[in-house]
Amino acid sequence: MTDIVQSLTDSTHRAPQRPMIALEGVSKTYPKQRRPAVAELNLAVPEGAIVILIGPSGCGKTTTLKMMNRLIEPTTGRILLDGEDVTDVNADQLRRRIGYVIQQVGLFPHLSIADNIAVVPTMLGWDKRRITSRVDELLHLVGMEPAEFRDRYPRQLSGGQQQRVGVARGLAADPSVMLMDEPFGAIDPITRERLQDEFLEVQRQVAKTICFVTHDLSEAVKLGDRIAVFAAGGRLAQYDTPSEVLAHPADDFVAEFIGSGTAVRRLSLLELRHLELEEIVTSHGGAPTVPHSGTVYDAVDVMLAAHSPLVVVVDDDGQPRGALRWDTLVSDLRTKGPPR
Amino acid sequence: MGSYVQYLSENSSELIFYAEQHFLLVLYSVTFASVISLALALVLHTNQLAPPSWRRSLRVSSRETSLLLASAALTIPSLALFGLLQPVLGLGVTPSIVALTLYAIYPVLRNTVAGLASVDPAVLEAARGVGMGPVRRMLRVQLPLAWPVIISGIRTAVLILISIAVVAALINGPGFGKPLQDGLARLGAVNSFNEVITGTLGCLVVAAGYEIIFVVVLRFTTPRGIRD
Ligand SMILES: Nc1ncnc2c1ncn2[C@@H]1O[C@H](COP(=O)(O)OP(=O)(O)OP(=O)(O)O)[C@@H](O)[C@H]1O
Ligand SMILES: [Mg+2]
Repeated sequence: MTDIVQSLTDSTHRAPQRPMIALEGVSKTYPKQRRPAVAELNLAVPEGAIVILIGPSGCGKTTTLKMMNRLIEPTTGRILLDGEDVTDVNADQLRRRIGYVIQQVGLFPHLSIADNIAVVPTMLGWDKRRITSRVDELLHLVGMEPAEFRDRYPRQLSGGQQQRVGVARGLAADPSVMLMDEPFGAIDPITRERLQDEFLEVQRQVAKTICFVTHDLSEAVKLGDRIAVFAAGGRLAQYDTPSEVLAHPADDFVAEFIGSGTAVRRLSLLELRHLELEEIVTSHGGAPTVPHSGTVYDAVDVMLAAHSPLVVVVDDDGQPRGALRWDTLVSDLRTKGPPR
Repeated sequence: MGSYVQYLSENSSELIFYAEQHFLLVLYSVTFASVISLALALVLHTNQLAPPSWRRSLRVSSRETSLLLASAALTIPSLALFGLLQPVLGLGVTPSIVALTLYAIYPVLRNTVAGLASVDPAVLEAARGVGMGPVRRMLRVQLPLAWPVIISGIRTAVLILISIAVVAALINGPGFGKPLQDGLARLGAVNSFNEVITGTLGCLVVAAGYEIIFVVVLRFTTPRGIRD
């Protein structure tokens, strides 16, 4: 198992670059409140990275996010966007450059789905045809058939569908910075998983800088390049890569927050394509298969489901790449090559 | 009954004239009242439109004060108000419109304030989040969403005004108040009862006309997404 831990620490997640968003000594005390909602927060979000904000309810995640696009003005400290202090720039102009997905969804009830998604492009003066094709593209992206949904109104959508439209609205003008407050919270696990994969795929193509709030630790581990674990009162308890947070919780609070089962969770960080696999021999015929784009977690799942002590890892064309044994998994798993 | 029909046909051109006057008197008054109330509510309600130096409590109290004044105006007995305006504005159309405007402000203002306040804060925050400025937010989001409530205030105002407007006849104002008062003053005389009935029914006819107009206006001005 120690090998897994080791391989996790130096694989998977990208090295941080220069900060796109930097919070420096930021605090927020709401009027008439004794204690700050966010206290002395220093946080640097690297360009092109997905940073997950996670923590118990009421710990200041939304407050932190809203200070980044100045929906809330910080009491102290300063906020830099791409190196520029945004404390005094025009807030409306700033917000058109930053995609924002609000926790309560907040679609405009009097506008059609298409018009909801098109708000920012319209304000930016895009021409009609470009807006229409962008709207359709985004509806496809969030898994909603444009012909069916384009002309509907928010009240004619389910909660999860509304939430997806909210995500599309935030992405509409293709901002390089996105702030997303529990964007997949009301979506069923299967659709959520698909959206997460879609999201990671898009992110691989056009690396946006994303701050993403969630309550779901699996989601955090899956999507995050880094995870910021908040404790009550807006204290940043730990800010590190998912594998570090899981392997070395900074304090008791973090340890308790991530809870038990971290060893299993860490399996989902280990991609099969990075594993040293066993040679395929003929006797492996009939063993269950798993795609090499999956993780060790998926492999374990397949083994358990098929009651098989072994899985065959196949590539995108279905060609076997090697085999993974239960025994190997629990004794000495090795990775190969440099991390992605 | 036959004689009433005869009365109607003999005086038809005059009755149409009354109806037209009554309709227009209400229309002008309610229009002025709506413009005043909307402007007032927008200034008082929109945080960023009111001077930022106004503290929140001041904004709230100024809103409550104007509502209070408007409701006070509504409680002045109509007879008294027309009488009170007479020395200042004289007789005829102008004081009638002024008095009716004062009566209409409260229902419109009340509903406008309530309508604007009823808009989901999450929607307004989303509007802020996508970079809409205060004016755009008001015109593109808050006002359209509040519109059904505002227009029902205007509708209430119209119904109130149609009945109060008959009192305008006291100061030589236009409308169905004239035949009504003529008839009441000479009860028992020839045609007096016909005049009273005509004044009453006339108000109902004008009200029916307005109701039809409101159905049409509501249909065409309510955004589809919030129409039920
Ligand atoms: N407008 C406000 N006025 C006063 N206190 C507020 C306000 N908004 C939030 N708070 C308080 O600030 C704290 C942080 O709130 P915030 O919305 O940032 O929490 P959160 O981490 O996003 O929680 P959740 O996970 O439930 O969304 C909470 O204790 C909350 O009660
Ligand atoms: Mg929140």
